[in-house]
Amino acid sequence: MALAGVSLRLDAGRIEALLGPNGAGKTTLVRVLTGLVRPDAGEARVLGVDTWECPRDLRARMGLVPSGDRSLYLRISGLENLLFFGRLHGMSKREATTRAFEVLELVDLTEAARLRTAFYSHGMQKRLSIARALLTAPSVLMIDEATHDLDPEAAARIRDLVRSLADEGAAVLWATQRIEEIRSFADGVTLLREGQAAFQGTVSQLIALAAPRRYVLRLRNGRAGAVELEPLLRAAVAASGTIAAADDGDPEDFLLHLAEGAVLGEVLASLTAGGVDVLGCREEVSEIENAYLNLAGRGE
Amino acid sequence: MSALPGELRKLPAFVRRDFLVAWSYRLPFVTDWVGLAFQAFMFYFIGLMVDPGKLPTFGGEPTTYLAFVAVGIAIAAFMTLALGRVSAGIQQEQLAGTLESLLMTPTSPATIQLGTVVYDLIYVPLRTAVFLVVIAVAFGLDFYASGLLPALVVLLAFIPFVWGLGIASAGATLTFRRGSGAVGLGIGVLVLFSGAYYPLDLLPSWLASLAELNPITIAVDGMREPLLGGTGWEGVGKAVAVLVPLAVVSLTLGAVAFRSALRRERSRGTLGLY
Repeated sequence: MALAGVSLRLDAGRIEALLGPNGAGKTTLVRVLTGLVRPDAGEARVLGVDTWECPRDLRARMGLVPSGDRSLYLRISGLENLLFFGRLHGMSKREATTRAFEVLELVDLTEAARLRTAFYSHGMQKRLSIARALLTAPSVLMIDEATHDLDPEAAARIRDLVRSLADEGAAVLWATQRIEEIRSFADGVTLLREGQAAFQGTVSQLIALAAPRRYVLRLRNGRAGAVELEPLLRAAVAASGTIAAADDGDPEDFLLHLAEGAVLGEVLASLTAGGVDVLGCREEVSEIENAYLNLAGRGE
Repeated sequence: MSALPGELRKLPAFVRRDFLVAWSYRLPFVTDWVGLAFQAFMFYFIGLMVDPGKLPTFGGEPTTYLAFVAVGIAIAAFMTLALGRVSAGIQQEQLAGTLESLLMTPTSPATIQLGTVVYDLIYVPLRTAVFLVVIAVAFGLDFYASGLLPALVVLLAFIPFVWGLGIASAGATLTFRRGSGAVGLGIGVLVLFSGAYYPLDLLPSWLASLAELNPITIAVDGMREPLLGGTGWEGVGKAVAVLVPLAVVSLTLGAVAFRSALRRERSRGTLGLY
């Protein structure tokens, strides 16, 4: 995947989400930033160092949690994996052992330390991968698709762990295509589209780009059928947007298309005042997903 | 601290890792030795049919077919195993998905290449030596004790040659992904025309002359002379004098091929793909 003019700023203590659909260039960017791939042109610098030149001190200051679960030696234990990689980072056997137990405790794998890695669950393997990235206490962490094959509980556990690492001062790049997970997790977002940054800002700014907003309302005529419902709805919504029967086959479901600047609460109040019972209200597509789809070029 | 001692200190970590991985596969570990024992038994019975008068003499001493072939089996098995494992070391890291993790550590590509095979570079010669000792004891073969050290020197001169071929093969595997078949074929041809299993005199003279230039032939003969003929250090110098330059060429070409392949794959971003 060709990348063009992507510039990222990672600050200590912050999580920058690298968001984008499959093939947008997220993994390529992570690999360029970690020096595993040479950019065709231009340069990539992390901590002021050209990543392709790969000075060894950069390797110690940057941790990578690669995507997938095949980056560990499955025939040996989690502890032996960490000892091996610790020794390759230049630690003595004693240093590597001490540090391995420290990071195992950090990721809550102490009890499974001597278990063969093949017997770890996906979530445990991912935590071990994070533990490996933490061996040198790096100031920058690159995490590629850490949660894509995890169940919600395991994924939340990984996010909590990464959040705590950021809170302790690490600068984190979190590549993902799971857009919902960046809400209340990432501090900033870079959205990649075909190798270019389609958006850079905060999660709130990304959500603000979500327009138009659509809601599925569950409504019932509160006037005991004396008046037809649809004209009643149109009158209540008025200039705040449009409303029509939803196409899900349920006669009580209506799709509200909120106009720019309109406030959902005011529309709901207007409906209630007009004699409509509001039984339910939900986003048709989440705001963040809406923004993502628009920016990724997949919106309407 | 210079870089080299730091890099060398990482090698025991590779040995420990590969020993633990090998130990986790206990059955292949055992079947390897059982297969070697079966091979020895088979050649013992074949040896009963072979007229020792048809075999060459070593240091003027006649020999038995089993003694003759035992050295050949040891070297051929060493060649096959060592070359196969050296060339497959990096491939296995690719297959396992761990190669990029290794490259994320401050470890030089040369150390990674050496590290992936250092366990085999210790285990395979040890296996060769143990095989020769066991077969000598089990079948009452008379190897000259004075020939052990000279034979070991020939083996040590032969190891870098095999290693160089293995690195070149590893580079080819990095580039073309499927190089093991060609490697196997190459090893087969070299072993077939090395005199490991039969005297080269049985070949047509032109082919025998060519086979005399085969590095495996030089290593096998270089080990047979002191072990079977009791010639001591006589002749070892000649074998080493040929094997060392070959090893230098093999290692140099191998290193260049491997580094080029690694650089190319990293530039293309396909290092982790297999």
